[in-house]
Amino acid sequence: MKKEENDAFSQCHPAVGFFFFVGAIGLGAMILHPLYILASGLFAVTYYCLLRGTRGLKTVALSVPVFLLLTFANPLVNHDGQRVLTYVFGRPYTYEALVYGMAIAGMLIVMLLWAGCYNAVMTSDKFMTLFGGVIPTISLLLLMVLRLVPNMIRKVAQLAGARKCIGRGAADNATKKEKALDSLNVLSALMTWALEGGVITADSMKARGYGTEKRSSFRMQKMKSSDIILLSVMAVLAAAIVRLIAGGGTAADYTPIMRITPVTGEHLAGFAAYCVFLSLPTVLYIKEAVQWRISRSGI
Amino acid sequence: MAHFEIRDLSFSYASAKGKLSLDSVSFDIQRGEYLVLCGRSGSGKTTLLKQLKPVLAPAGKRGGEILFNSAPIRALSERDQAAKIGYVMQNPDDQIVTDKVWHELAFGLESLGCDQKTMRARVAEMACYFGIQDWFHRDVANLSGGQKQLLNLASIMAMQPEVLILDEPTSQLDPIAASDFLNTVRKINLELGTTVIITEHRLEDIFPHADRAVVMDEGRVIADDVPRSIGKLLFEQRNPMFTAMPTPVRVFYGAGAEGKCPLTVREGRTWLSETFPNGAKTKSLPEEKDPAETGEPALTMKELWFRYEKDSPDIMRGVSAEVPTGSLYAIVGGNGAGKSTTLKAICGINRPYRGKIKVFGRPVEKYKSSELFSRCLAMLPQDPKSLFVKRSVREDLSEMNADRDRVQEIAELCRIVPLLDSHPYDLSGGEQQRAALAKVLLTEPRLLLLDEPTKGIDSFFKETFAGILSELKRKGVTVVMVSHDVEFCARYADMVSMFFDGQILTTDTPRRFFGSNSFYTTAANRMSRHVFSQAVTAEDVIALYGANREALA
Repeated sequence: MKKEENDAFSQCHPAVGFFFFVGAIGLGAMILHPLYILASGLFAVTYYCLLRGTRGLKTVALSVPVFLLLTFANPLVNHDGQRVLTYVFGRPYTYEALVYGMAIAGMLIVMLLWAGCYNAVMTSDKFMTLFGGVIPTISLLLLMVLRLVPNMIRKVAQLAGARKCIGRGAADNATKKEKALDSLNVLSALMTWALEGGVITADSMKARGYGTEKRSSFRMQKMKSSDIILLSVMAVLAAAIVRLIAGGGTAADYTPIMRITPVTGEHLAGFAAYCVFLSLPTVLYIKEAVQWRISRSGI
Repeated sequence: MAHFEIRDLSFSYASAKGKLSLDSVSFDIQRGEYLVLCGRSGSGKTTLLKQLKPVLAPAGKRGGEILFNSAPIRALSERDQAAKIGYVMQNPDDQIVTDKVWHELAFGLESLGCDQKTMRARVAEMACYFGIQDWFHRDVANLSGGQKQLLNLASIMAMQPEVLILDEPTSQLDPIAASDFLNTVRKINLELGTTVIITEHRLEDIFPHADRAVVMDEGRVIADDVPRSIGKLLFEQRNPMFTAMPTPVRVFYGAGAEGKCPLTVREGRTWLSETFPNGAKTKSLPEEKDPAETGEPALTMKELWFRYEKDSPDIMRGVSAEVPTGSLYAIVGGNGAGKSTTLKAICGINRPYRGKIKVFGRPVEKYKSSELFSRCLAMLPQDPKSLFVKRSVREDLSEMNADRDRVQEIAELCRIVPLLDSHPYDLSGGEQQRAALAKVLLTEPRLLLLDEPTKGIDSFFKETFAGILSELKRKGVTVVMVSHDVEFCARYADMVSMFFDGQILTTDTPRRFFGSNSFYTTAANRMSRHVFSQAVTAEDVIALYGANREALA
């Protein structure tokens, strides 16, 4: 069983997931404040690892060298800043640019981690549930195209295997020209095959009344009251964060002069809202796990 | 009131230059009837079925008319056509439109613009009726062929049609999945009263249940009667369609018996018991000789182990076999048992992690790939289409061998000379199979591997195909085939092996092999095992019947 299936957040209505990820990624992209990036990173790593298990840890570990590379590379191209640490190729390598690099690299990796979580949570059918009703025809088209790709890959393998068994196809010692010519053969066969399949699929769609009426869209999930509560909580939090950003509470300049707004006083509430918002999936996950333990002990 | 009234219908394809594909076809289909439409490939069955659902009807010249519920079918709106006339096609894969099982079930309802509440109820209802609950949330890509076809049927039934038209729905399925599918169709007919019109090659399973059978040949209806009478009619006409009849029917008329013809194995058994109340005097045919040992085996497999991924289960678990040179060796066994995997292992597409494969006494890995696949080993894959890469059969064959005479010779052997200039995709299933075989034979193999060669081809093509195989055998070619088709293996193979649980369990001559099985055996054997022993084909039973009748007289 995949980890995602244990995840309470993934079980919520797709609108909840979609709103969350738009918030996490959209708001995150607007904030370059180190503390906010750190907070976002913390929750992204936790949730990503909860979803992906040990494989998730590996991805996180792999992102560390990327982070370091980006951090140290920034001062090589950005020479602004006041505190010069050293000179590389005769150009200044500044403290401000280094910190700036750290912030950009951190933000990028955090966004990528959130995107990874999005992929695990928002499967294609959830996307369809959400948008199938709004644009039924286009979303159907999209879905069919997405289905076509893995089908094609399978067929290429089948064609290549079949050709190998009659001694055709690119042999191990074939020249580049032979290989290229053979790929052309396989490609043309693939096209014929796909076209033929397409004709049948079109017939099958026609046979089931495609295009006779305005399409409706079947949705597997209903919105529950808990989903509505969650959505409202998220909306309030998001509004608070947007207000904070608009008010300059998350402003951070690095070069040429470093100016980072301190997180104190009135800004503290905004920061808390940001943390609570991002922690929602993790909190739900843990709450569900604890609840499950308790209810299971009663079985 | 008749559901469909077909009046003097004729049709010719736009490209056929006036040649009639349907020629003055007239018959009625009653409400709630289960009608089987049979005939050889290319006799006009599919053309007729498509006329019954005009949105699918191809372009061409049409004469006569079809009434649906007493009104011309052409006047039926597209919406009504979609909702009232369900149509299931041959290929399980290409009919599926979406990526999830639940979504596919709802597809037709979405097209008709149903509201959420109705859709929810209908989808749930269908999933339960067809036993789909367990794989309701799955991706369609992960379903088996049988499940896919069942899904196609369910997604059409979700629209609650009055008529269900099925065009060779089980030709791509293995026998077990096929009979499951046909049972479901029968259940729909019996429990819901849906009119069923079906074409099939596998008449064994549906003939006894059908209310009526219509036989077509060259676009004409040549017989239209209850199934029990059809056999007699075809036998008297010496019609080649007779070979497609269920085994009990073929045995009954082949043996020259009189009276009420048995349709099922059960009726066949009763008939034999009544004919020979004191048992048979000659119980079995003379013992068949073991194929002579011809020295070096063509293929040796020793303790092969294979799995697809590091931590997936083993598919081959110690496969061992020896195939004598010049024999036709058949491997039978359930679906997903690993038969095809074994063939791929011999060709080096799958590499076993343990064990040895020797081809003509030499380890397979010692061959260079150019050596192995020319004048030595070749495989005909399950889907013959995967071999065609050109625009005509001739071009495809020339790709293998530039020598025109040789191409002509092989084309003659495979009986595809008239098809040489057609596009490979325009051929019927049986024709494609033979064209693909021709292509494979142009590598001049001495060891030929066939993966399900009789899948989806009708009984005449099977006989032609068997003829080609025996001609190859005469030339000294060794053939190893993997098949679900026990009737074919019983009739034509020299040796039969049972593949089960990743191993080859038993190997014997077909008579002894099928004679000692009681479930996994041919209909002829199941029908006659209480009277004769080791009679595994209709011919065996007929011969023994004749011998014993003489003794009685």
